Amino acid sequence: MDLHTLSTLHSIFREVQQKQDWKVALDTLFVSLRDTFVFDNVAVFLENPKDKSREVVYARAVGRGKTAEADAVWGDSVASEAIARDTMVLSQPAQPLKKTTGRLNLACLLGFPLHIGAKLSGALVFVRFGGPQYTPLHIELASLQAFWAAALIERRDLQQARAELDSVQRQMRLQDDFVSTISHELRTPLGFIKGYSTSLLREDTTWDEATRREFLNIIDEEADRLTRLIEDMLESARLQSKTLQFKFSPIRVDALMRDVATRIGARHAGLKVNFDFQPLPPIRGDGTRMAQVFENLFNNALKYAPNSEIRIVTEATDDKVRIVFADGGEGISAEYLPFIFERFYRVPGERTVTGTGLGLYICKQIVMAHHGNIWVESVLGEGTTFVIELPVSSTL
Amino acid sequence: MPKRILIVDDEPRYLRLLEANLRTEGYEVSTAQDGMQALDVFSTQPIDLVLLDVMMPRLDGFGVCQRLREFSTVPIVILTARGEEQDRVRGLDLGADDYLVKPFSATELLARVRAVLRRARPPVETATGQARFFIHGDLKIDFARAEVWRGEDPVSLSATEYRLLLQFTHHVGKILTSEDLLGSVWGAEYKNDKEILWVSIARLRQKLENDPHAPSHIVTRSGLGYLMPPIEE
Repeated sequence: MDLHTLSTLHSIFREVQQKQDWKVALDTLFVSLRDTFVFDNVAVFLENPKDKSREVVYARAVGRGKTAEADAVWGDSVASEAIARDTMVLSQPAQPLKKTTGRLNLACLLGFPLHIGAKLSGALVFVRFGGPQYTPLHIELASLQAFWAAALIERRDLQQARAELDSVQRQMRLQDDFVSTISHELRTPLGFIKGYSTSLLREDTTWDEATRREFLNIIDEEADRLTRLIEDMLESARLQSKTLQFKFSPIRVDALMRDVATRIGARHAGLKVNFDFQPLPPIRGDGTRMAQVFENLFNNALKYAPNSEIRIVTEATDDKVRIVFADGGEGISAEYLPFIFERFYRVPGERTVTGTGLGLYICKQIVMAHHGNIWVESVLGEGTTFVIELPVSSTL
Repeated sequence: MPKRILIVDDEPRYLRLLEANLRTEGYEVSTAQDGMQALDVFSTQPIDLVLLDVMMPRLDGFGVCQRLREFSTVPIVILTARGEEQDRVRGLDLGADDYLVKPFSATELLARVRAVLRRARPPVETATGQARFFIHGDLKIDFARAEVWRGEDPVSLSATEYRLLLQFTHHVGKILTSEDLLGSVWGAEYKNDKEILWVSIARLRQKLENDPHAPSHIVTRSGLGYLMPPIEE
């Protein structure tokens, strides 16, 4: 083989293999060799492994057949023969061709069986209208292209199989994670209830009054945590499956926020809230659900930034209302911020505070059901700020 | 002398639960809230038993179990919140003596602790017996942290290189055949892949030896295998 041929082949090989899409790769393959091997039509037939029916999966009319459309010969019978005999089939008219008429009726056909993997799976047919007849060089090149086409189709099959496998695996992993997180979250409070109650039930030892009270308090708190966890899980499952019904009506989020603050303040004497309210236009929303979002933010602030003042700012733009909810607590490290709205996510090291990892997930789902947005900003040592933006609908 | 038990759990309420119950039985208690802390506590105090949670930040219970077993025979009881068989099997395979699935009752916990302590053999005092550190000339290994130094310089080893090195430190003075090393580090299906071992030993020598062509830590015994020669006192 001379250097020129070798480098031509090399560049064709590289160009064809680089094409990710198998049809584009086949186009590239046929076009790049067309200088040496001229044909008018090419078609790839593949057998459906299920019912053995044969279908055309790739066809190009590049020469004289371009305008003939469906009337031209596509070599269906040659394909059948190539598959049936599992060998190359050459079919060309014996008599010399006249250049005048009926060119499309005088087709020179060259068919190859296609082996994909180890299986005979289809055929590739070249069609040349009105000659010239195929020379041994043409046949050799055509054979190379057929072989290559089979490899490209096999690559497509493998890519598809891998994509399907990846997707199945991802689904399974998500399900696994979900099940293992749920079972861990449920077992944790259950483990405390079981452990501390059986400690109190021990007959071989006695506990002093302070310890008994401490253990009973833990049992009580963990039972509450279990209840809350189950409620939150049901709620998040409803949000996830979109079966939670929202009742939309015009609401004023600033008034709603004040109500929630008053309600929480009645339960927590130490709650300090600093309001900086710009009057907000009413929006379309579900008041009960939005109140739930605000309650969650208050509860988080009470848990993670105890004793810090909460600053709430409301602002209105042309088409949005914005609620800024800032605490002056310890803040959240930047590496954890991207995950805090994920279901069951809890910032590591926060285990001393009870929680389910569902609160902010529920908040985000509710805000998104309002076509709004919620995000978090935090600086370690300075505090955490949640921002909620809700659209102001023109039709309330 | 009262037995000292190390409890490792990231939930303070589990630490409190275990500690309160163990103290009623007269045990001394040390605590750690993550795997790395557990290894540090273990190497500074005499510990008779480790109660080890699985799901922990930094280094999980399986990791702690694996590291401890590289230099210690201390009894280990795994506390797992997951009841899956594969978790229990994994813990036992990594060298745990028993496991307890959360939720568990206080009396069952105490019974398991008594049983495991009863079965426990007295600690073995050999060259690498309970020692956290291994020293061979200028080579130093901290088994608890899986760290290796050459003199003052930390050496970075791949997981396979570290496992290969441990084969030698655990059998100082003994010739190990290629089949032994390939089988225990790479697995039985690699027993005939001598070339993999050659490449790995060459790389290990590059990292550990002052003169890789005249090695002092991993020496070739032509036709027999490799060994880490005993250090003359």
